[in-house]
Amino acid sequence: MTTEKVSPKLGEGKKTRSRYASMPRSKVALILLSKYGTLTAMALMLLIFAIAVPNGYFFNWDNLLNIVEQSSLTAIIASGLTIVLVVGEFDLSIGYVASLAGVLVTGLVEKQHLPLFLAIVATLAVGLGIGSINGIVVTKARVNAVVATLGVGTIVVGLSYGYTAGSPIVQVPDSFLQLALGKTFGLANPIWLMVIVLFLLWMVLNRTPLGQRIQAVGGNLHAARLAGIRTDRTKIITFMIAGLMAAITGVMLASLLGSGTVSAADSYLMDSFAAVFLGSATLRDGEFHIVGTLIGVLIVNVGFNGLSQLGTPVFWQYIFKGGILVAAVALSTIARRYAKT
Amino acid sequence: MKPDSIGSYLPDPSSLTSSPPWLEVRDLSKQFGGVYALKEVSLKLRRGAVHGLVGANGAGKSTVIRCLAGVVQQDAGEIVIEGQRVEIPDPHKASDLGLAFIHQEVSLVPEFSVLRNMAMGIPPVTHFGIIDWGPTRRRAELVHDRLGMNFSLNARTEELSTAEQWLVLIGRALMRDAVMIAMDEPTASLSAVEAERVHAIVRDLRDQGVAVVYVSHRLDEVMDLCDDITVFRDGEMVLSTTRDQITKPDLVRAIVGGDVEHIEKHIAQTEGRVVLDVRSISDKNLLRNISLQVHEGEVLGLAGLVGAGRTELAQIIYGDARPTSGEIYLDGVKTKFRSAADGAEAGIGLVPEERRSQGVFLERSIGFNVTISSLRDSVWWRWLPLLKPRHSNLRALKSTQEVGVNTKDMKMLIGSLSGGNQQKVVIARWITQKPKLLILDEPSRGVDVGARAEIHRVIRELADQGTAVIAISSDSEELVDLCDRVVVMNEGKITDELTGPRITLENIVSMSFHRREDH
Repeated sequence: MTTEKVSPKLGEGKKTRSRYASMPRSKVALILLSKYGTLTAMALMLLIFAIAVPNGYFFNWDNLLNIVEQSSLTAIIASGLTIVLVVGEFDLSIGYVASLAGVLVTGLVEKQHLPLFLAIVATLAVGLGIGSINGIVVTKARVNAVVATLGVGTIVVGLSYGYTAGSPIVQVPDSFLQLALGKTFGLANPIWLMVIVLFLLWMVLNRTPLGQRIQAVGGNLHAARLAGIRTDRTKIITFMIAGLMAAITGVMLASLLGSGTVSAADSYLMDSFAAVFLGSATLRDGEFHIVGTLIGVLIVNVGFNGLSQLGTPVFWQYIFKGGILVAAVALSTIARRYAKT
Repeated sequence: MKPDSIGSYLPDPSSLTSSPPWLEVRDLSKQFGGVYALKEVSLKLRRGAVHGLVGANGAGKSTVIRCLAGVVQQDAGEIVIEGQRVEIPDPHKASDLGLAFIHQEVSLVPEFSVLRNMAMGIPPVTHFGIIDWGPTRRRAELVHDRLGMNFSLNARTEELSTAEQWLVLIGRALMRDAVMIAMDEPTASLSAVEAERVHAIVRDLRDQGVAVVYVSHRLDEVMDLCDDITVFRDGEMVLSTTRDQITKPDLVRAIVGGDVEHIEKHIAQTEGRVVLDVRSISDKNLLRNISLQVHEGEVLGLAGLVGAGRTELAQIIYGDARPTSGEIYLDGVKTKFRSAADGAEAGIGLVPEERRSQGVFLERSIGFNVTISSLRDSVWWRWLPLLKPRHSNLRALKSTQEVGVNTKDMKMLIGSLSGGNQQKVVIARWITQKPKLLILDEPSRGVDVGARAEIHRVIRELADQGTAVIAISSDSEELVDLCDRVVVMNEGKITDELTGPRITLENIVSMSFHRREDH
């Protein structure tokens, strides 16, 4: 058998026919529902709120931009979480890390009188540090990530209380407030920051060796190790990315609130998970990805904004958030299951 | 070969041959994504006969079996059991109809006793919700005797050998009164002795009136064991015959659709520079004082039974495991590997034993799978490590063409390739880097005849370019074909080293069982 040497040429691969062709209709419907369901849901929500909210208060440029701005901090912390989930691990400490970052950055300025820039750098370094501790506990001590990050997260809560003695830090300089409240080229700073951070993380995940390794480790840990990938190091780096993103979010939130409060950012944990799982079912088959996460965050915030504009009682917003988390995980699981068969 | 003398209670084999088939598959077709996985395939399965299904990976054997098992539904055609047309919508129904399936991956609960594993899936007899094991146990004892199991029903399943665990699966099938048992490559990961035991059991089952469907890539085994043989190629039945009417070369031709070119036996390359020098390596459990050398351009075979310590040795050389004593030199430099990544960085490649769980990233593209170990070669700049997608795609394409992967679409998921092509992709991963040493653990397990020849060609070419190669295989024929030198291991020790004309099937097999006197 002589194998012909074929001159390698790009783009010659024969397009395979749609893989949906041979499946029963109900199954195709499920896949389409999970892939495009989230996008359809977003469109539907936009439509409903646009009609239901009186005077066009919902569907106007300012409010939509407002939604994006509200989404930006969640998007940053959630995309850090996305990276950890891609590598096949879990991080429950991000909300607490963000809260700590908030009290730390304000405290360093107010109590330790550090220049703002240094305070921010130190805070981000702490975020990286906590992330690396998470990663080391998970990889070297082989503690299950859920337990490890919950434990580390609880320690972080303790540190926050210890540092502030329980009372919020409210004296912050104007320059710090400008971080989140200011505008650049007519757009709020958090939006710019979100765009930059998400672009960078997308590049890391899809266009760098590190990103390929992260995907390999998440796809098949054993095969990744035997392919010569330093799997522990790769995992630790993802936890560090998550920690850094949490710290960024915490700093921005403190700037937005004008204070460092011990549990200000805790709820970002839930929001992030809802968004990431919702996003994993968007466009791809239950795979975690940055663009999906962004869409997930936007959906959650469209819902929130619309509900509050309608004057819905607060308890409904919790029910909405919890419901969307469960629905998101279910959709993502369905997408993954059917992608395999 | 006629069956040995059998008890009078068994059906007369001659009457079985003339009897109508117990199960008949008529004009079965199945498409996946517009491509025929099966096209108008017909089969007749008789009680008391072994029916061999052979063909390249992806030829359609497993699709037939999956249709029978109720895992997938055929698009056209029918399945008839004892003259009655049946529908098999799910595996449960298949089981009710007396069809049992034993897959390559053993599906037992390791912590359970043999009895509990055998009883799995059978509704237990209960009194007020409490299981009464009595009736189940009595039934299991009958099966136990029938199969001649030489281990207790109370034994923990994980303590059994692979062949014994396989026997437990057969037991499970018989517990459910299976009339047809389909086996997917039961001997693929077994040693010669264990395989022989499996063959004996298959013959027993046949003599007891079971219709056995036997899928295998080992043609000698098929010729030896099967009464009826059906050959598949590209989803179609190309040959259906009885054993007496066919020879092995015919079989090979039918599978490949032409003649296989045998690579010529190589002139031994044992003179070159020493690339790998292993000096009296021992590990915690198994390996004792292993010393061996591999030269530049040489293919060294590691022979032995499953559990002889060959994979463990490979792991240590690669850095994935650490020895308790001894030294390893690569290109004259003492290695201090702390992980597999260190081994890979030093210029060693490993093609692991279990392709699906250790070799490939099934949900990723071919390109991803090829380039994952050499990403650094495709970045813009070391300090700004952005990948050049076109560049890495081209590299992947070049190396996959070199090993003969039959697609040029590097974005295609590797999971949609056949096993043989997946294996080639894993080999391509290392070829791009021209490793100093390449270790292949069972390079052609579960791979069809054509792909196997091609993999051997690639290994040879790589050696000719100066790479030192270690090939581990339980298939002694493969070692004879491929290797310049063969080191035989047994229970963690080297028992013999065969070179030149001494590399024969007989020597390899006999030394695999032989235990060298300690000196």
